[in-house]
Amino acid sequence: MTATTERETATAGAPAPAPAIEAVSVSRWYGNVVAVNDVSFALGPGITGLLGPNGAGKSTLLHMLAGFLAPSAGSVRMFGETIWKNEALYRRIGLVPEREAIYPFLTGYEFVLLSARLHKLPDPEAAAARAIRIVDMGSAQDRAAAGYSKGMKQRIKIAAAIVHDPEVLLLDEPFNGADPRQRLHMMDMLREMAAAGRTIVFSSHILEEVERLAENVLVVVSGRLAASGDFRQIRKLMTDRPHTFTIRSSDDRRLASALVSDTAVFGVELGSDRLTVRAADFAAFAHAVAKVARGAGVSLFEVLPTDESLESVFSYLVKR
Amino acid sequence: MPLLSTRELSKRYPGVTALDGLSIELEPGVIGLVGANGAGKSTLLKILLGLLAPTSGEATLLGYDVRRQGPELRQFVGYMPEHDCLPNDVSATEFVAHMAQINGLPRAAARERTAETLRHVGLFEERYREIRGYSTGMKQRVKLAQALVHDPRVMLLDEPTNGLDPAGREDMLDLVRRTGNEFGIAIIMASHLLGEIERVCDHLVVIDAGRLLRSAAIGEFTQRTQVLAVEIEGDAGPLAGRLAASGLRVKMEEHTVLIGIEAGQTPYDAIRDTVADLGLGLVRLEQRRQNLEDLFRTPEREDADVAAG
Repeated sequence: MTATTERETATAGAPAPAPAIEAVSVSRWYGNVVAVNDVSFALGPGITGLLGPNGAGKSTLLHMLAGFLAPSAGSVRMFGETIWKNEALYRRIGLVPEREAIYPFLTGYEFVLLSARLHKLPDPEAAAARAIRIVDMGSAQDRAAAGYSKGMKQRIKIAAAIVHDPEVLLLDEPFNGADPRQRLHMMDMLREMAAAGRTIVFSSHILEEVERLAENVLVVVSGRLAASGDFRQIRKLMTDRPHTFTIRSSDDRRLASALVSDTAVFGVELGSDRLTVRAADFAAFAHAVAKVARGAGVSLFEVLPTDESLESVFSYLVKR
Repeated sequence: MPLLSTRELSKRYPGVTALDGLSIELEPGVIGLVGANGAGKSTLLKILLGLLAPTSGEATLLGYDVRRQGPELRQFVGYMPEHDCLPNDVSATEFVAHMAQINGLPRAAARERTAETLRHVGLFEERYREIRGYSTGMKQRVKLAQALVHDPRVMLLDEPTNGLDPAGREDMLDLVRRTGNEFGIAIIMASHLLGEIERVCDHLVVIDAGRLLRSAAIGEFTQRTQVLAVEIEGDAGPLAGRLAASGLRVKMEEHTVLIGIEAGQTPYDAIRDTVADLGLGLVRLEQRRQNLEDLFRTPEREDADVAAG
């Protein structure tokens, strides 16, 4: 199933500028192995999370978006142009690969400067200094990368990828090896870049983080696009999965009997200290619960949706 | 007897202090170990295994002095390293049985324990195949099995979910929890992911720059705060306005209205009635909890980071 994002529908009518990234029926196979299978989507500015089980084709897809890999069929477009063998577009993309693609004998500064020179920037020194400042690596920039921790290597790789101030930033598992503080810092950094109008795509296995960072997700399962868009909207389209809430109140039994007679509710279970309610229509239940509780004279202490997280959306998509 | 006790434990490398007078005492349980990169987690694990001598201070694990009783201690300890450490050209059965024998089990017992342990970690037909063809998830299971095969009293796990996808992570966390609860084996688990520590562990130890920052039951890190969060479908503005007008302290955060509770106030019915009057959809109503992450919201300390080798 595919959910269309609000952004896509909003821009469809206007004489819209071409989307930052667009995949049109993209496939990639290696011999008989199909890594990516007929995938289409369009992305604009903001942060998009790329999710999927190991081996689903996430890295292959990111490499095709970056112009590193030719699609076997279909095309990847960036700002309306095909990206494969289109060197002018490379200046507008930054890629942070998953592997430790960093020379251990260079200092952090030298590594970022090398990237600035490869892009033939007019003032590579200033660009390198700026990128290093953004990732907050100034105090360690003159030490050899061999002595860096995983989190520091990750930040220097990001600095090298943003040295030419690209409009599109692609990151493959950027949080790997980062400690809690580094994770928070990196999230803030990506949010700022997105707020400045950049298009950011990152892959991750840590669903809690994707949920907090990305307004949009792309879910790849076995090489196919299982869903794309705002995961909350995707969840609402899964009408075959009931929405579950737990409720704590001043009188669970009384509230249970009142809720059962509401048409939005089709299952109520009375637990020892809470009530579990199943509803077919999320919005209808949300609108009913306060009114029903007031009508029954019951105080609501806690209402929690238990089935709306990215984690449950993801597990539904992967299992089907 | 405490599971683990350290007193003024220090480890200095030339130019770097990995542990700096660390004193902790821990009772058996499932214990999470968190700290910045380079805070000294791996050094602590190596000292506890009796593989690395501290520069000064003392440490005992299960009552054994790690400095002098390493060999005795290690028969009761299982260790799952973070890095890839498995041989490629043997099967999981051969490897785990070999590790069991190294740990002192006779050949027949080693074979039986290996079969049981591999079943426990969820490896079945594939256990007779060479490890080289295993997925990341299967390799992590083998690493856990070799730490468990000799029935240790404590297991040290270094980032057990590293490289796993969401389903693999879920399985591994479930295994860790079951191993701790059903077998009663104490577990010390190092991880960067606070969410998974919160799910699995009952106690958390935070080290920072080689020193103890905090050691307490998980519940103490996630106590309820005096803030109610009300999430609404659609615009939260009107709700915030009405509640503020009725004298409550409110703040808006996207679709959520945060309400500060003063002593003696019970704004629950006011919230319920305002939501009902305005005809809003109530998505969530809960008392906010402290977040494990708040521990790390202090200003960036690059010097701690720099110490990682």
